[in-house]
Amino acid sequence: MKPEDHAWRSLREHASAQLRPDFANRVVRLAQGPQDETWRELEAAGARRLRAGFAERVLRAARQIPGVPSFLNQFAFSAATAAICMLAVVGIHSLQVRLESDRNLAGWQQLVDDMQDLEQYL
Amino acid sequence: MENSSSTALVDLVRRAQKGEEDAQRELIVSYQHRVAGFVYAMTGRGDYVEDLAQQVFIKMIRALVHLQAPAQFESWLFRLARNTCIDQLRRQKLRRIFLPFGVEHENIPEPPGAVDSEELDALRHALAQLRPQDRALLALVQEGRSHAEIAEILSTSVAAVKARLHRAREHLREHYQS
Repeated sequence: MKPEDHAWRSLREHASAQLRPDFANRVVRLAQGPQDETWRELEAAGARRLRAGFAERVLRAARQIPGVPSFLNQFAFSAATAAICMLAVVGIHSLQVRLESDRNLAGWQQLVDDMQDLEQYL
Repeated sequence: MENSSSTALVDLVRRAQKGEEDAQRELIVSYQHRVAGFVYAMTGRGDYVEDLAQQVFIKMIRALVHLQAPAQFESWLFRLARNTCIDQLRRQKLRRIFLPFGVEHENIPEPPGAVDSEELDALRHALAQLRPQDRALLALVQEGRSHAEIAEILSTSVAAVKARLHRAREHLREHYQS
């Protein structure tokens, strides 16, 4: 055997010794992409993260969280708030108008009284 | 057989919609493993699984009364799961923007489990390289959702789902092989 042939053979043997025994299967598996079995393993790995009594904990947590108000309830609440605000505005406005009217009437009454005093004096 | 199991599921969903706690419990027990697997595929984080799965099922219980077609329960549930996971990933991204010093604590890669196979590690690694939307697409296909159902879940067309799925599979294969 020629020395270069011997060297090539040694090189090939060394290189092939670097490969793991299941090299061909691994290459085929990787080339095909993840198999259904691997996806099932992933699902099982995720499922193992759930502690025992998971369903009971979910039901308990769901009972403790206050309910989300329905659209109708939210609308009714908004309408009630708007009505209260409107009543407050109308109430304050009418109060102010009444006070202003009273003040004006008192002013006119004062004027009438002054005129009557003046007529009597004249 | 298939027909009778779907009828049983519809009955179970109707009972749960009426507020029967036994039916709600049965639904959770029936789907908890699949939802946990879906959450794990979406987030790649084992420590998120229980918390997010719990959020999904609480939303399920609260929103069940609004489900018009009990026959479409599975699609509806996995839409809830997908949206919950994507919301969580968005929140995580926002937290990274506002709390940059927390990044090194949040980005610690999860070590492979003691019993994880080489393929499972490769799949987890490959999924982590994909966009969350692509992960959701692949996980929904693995969950047995049809293209039409996925199109409805993602509010897009069947043709768009097929195109995105093709690209997602290509990317997954590339990363899986690397």
